[in-house]
Amino acid sequence: MRRPTFTALVVIIGVLLLADLLVANDSLGLLAAIVVDAAILVAAGAALAAVGALGARRLGDLWRRRGDPIGAVLVVVGMATILIAGLRPGSDGSADPAVRWLLSALLIPLGASLFGLLFVTTLLAARRSLAGRSPSAIVLVAAAFVTLLLLLPLAGAGGGWLAGAAGWALDVPVGAVFRGLLIGVGLLTAVFAARTLLGIGMADD
Amino acid sequence: MTDRARLLRWFGPALLVAALALGWILPTPDVLRLATPDPRAAGEMTAALDALPDEANVLVGFDPDLGTYAEVRPTVRALLADLLDRDAQLAFVSLTAEGRALAVSERSRLEREGVDPSVVRDLGFVAGAEAALVDLAAGLSDRYDGIVVVGGNDLGPRSWVEQVLPRASGVALLAVTPAILLPEVRPYLATGQVDAALITPGEGAAYRGGLELEGSALLESREPSVLAILIGMLAAVAMLGQALGARAVATLRGTRARDAE
Repeated sequence: MRRPTFTALVVIIGVLLLADLLVANDSLGLLAAIVVDAAILVAAGAALAAVGALGARRLGDLWRRRGDPIGAVLVVVGMATILIAGLRPGSDGSADPAVRWLLSALLIPLGASLFGLLFVTTLLAARRSLAGRSPSAIVLVAAAFVTLLLLLPLAGAGGGWLAGAAGWALDVPVGAVFRGLLIGVGLLTAVFAARTLLGIGMADD
Repeated sequence: MTDRARLLRWFGPALLVAALALGWILPTPDVLRLATPDPRAAGEMTAALDALPDEANVLVGFDPDLGTYAEVRPTVRALLADLLDRDAQLAFVSLTAEGRALAVSERSRLEREGVDPSVVRDLGFVAGAEAALVDLAAGLSDRYDGIVVVGGNDLGPRSWVEQVLPRASGVALLAVTPAILLPEVRPYLATGQVDAALITPGEGAAYRGGLELEGSALLESREPSVLAILIGMLAAVAMLGQALGARAVATLRGTRARDAE
């Protein structure tokens, strides 16, 4: 059975926000601001709930001795450390030196190092994908190979030519594909939004 | 697996790290250059900054991601140093958790280097993604002369153009993003919705090269090593080229064998 509450809510809020954008009216602006603030509160609550659920899940894993115990301990200890540093009595919250140190000296370098490993793992993945003899993998790796050659940081006339070719490649073929994807996503979003506004569900297909 | 392949598997990464370290230490030869020869992006950024009023109030939407921040970090620090050199008042706001962590780190660095905390205000993390942007946009054009978006995460220049610009007309929007966002940001540059953007590492290097902030502690202590970048790229080119070559040779051999039969 279709529930009209959600659809009605989306229609009312969508029309209200659109009207506020198009019409300068204080009352309308106030109503739109209330709706936006409510959305922010809901999002903040959802984010807190997600963090709480993650912590509870990991603690549950440890309690029931399932999953990856080392990962669970690291997650729980990491969350506890940040929470204690930011919420202990006398702490300045995110401006507290302990929080700053945890972020600047620990979290950010660790995160960057993990992403740095992508250099090696991506190359290994590219080689493995070629071993599969898939035509799409060959196209993908060949394109990456050519792009890397074009982006070589050389000076002089050769470097200028490479930079020009790289700029063209990024602007035209890569840009066209990416923008095509974005336009496709945009169209699908618009269609989905229109279906939601009109109350058309899967059952109507 | 052959002995050669096994050796390469074990020692290859270590050799690469050693070569990168060597590239980092050695001086950059003249034949290498990171800055793009096309000065348009850097020029547009400088012109957009020149167009800001004296002691401009600038909102910094700081939402890079941990993975690509290293790519834009020297440019971000140079842009912040440039703005502070122009006596701008900065207000940092983040809409993502990663962005918030990086913003705390950058603000902490600025304060460590002696920047007055009152000129780098902290508006903190705002939950709500697009809804938060809509909320931020209320009265924004009365309070700020410009917006600098440091992108990389979900809420980058595109979200600011979509949610904020229609509600805050007349405010300059500048962006620094990693190259992955180039196809997304370029159309907004073409339409003028984004006033200036530094997207590729080459554009960032060209902008940094044009700054007259020699010796400023707010800049990165040293520029990225172009030699190390080249070594990494050549290693990638060699690995991919070898794999593609091996695949081509195998295909050729297979074709010939079938023809011979």
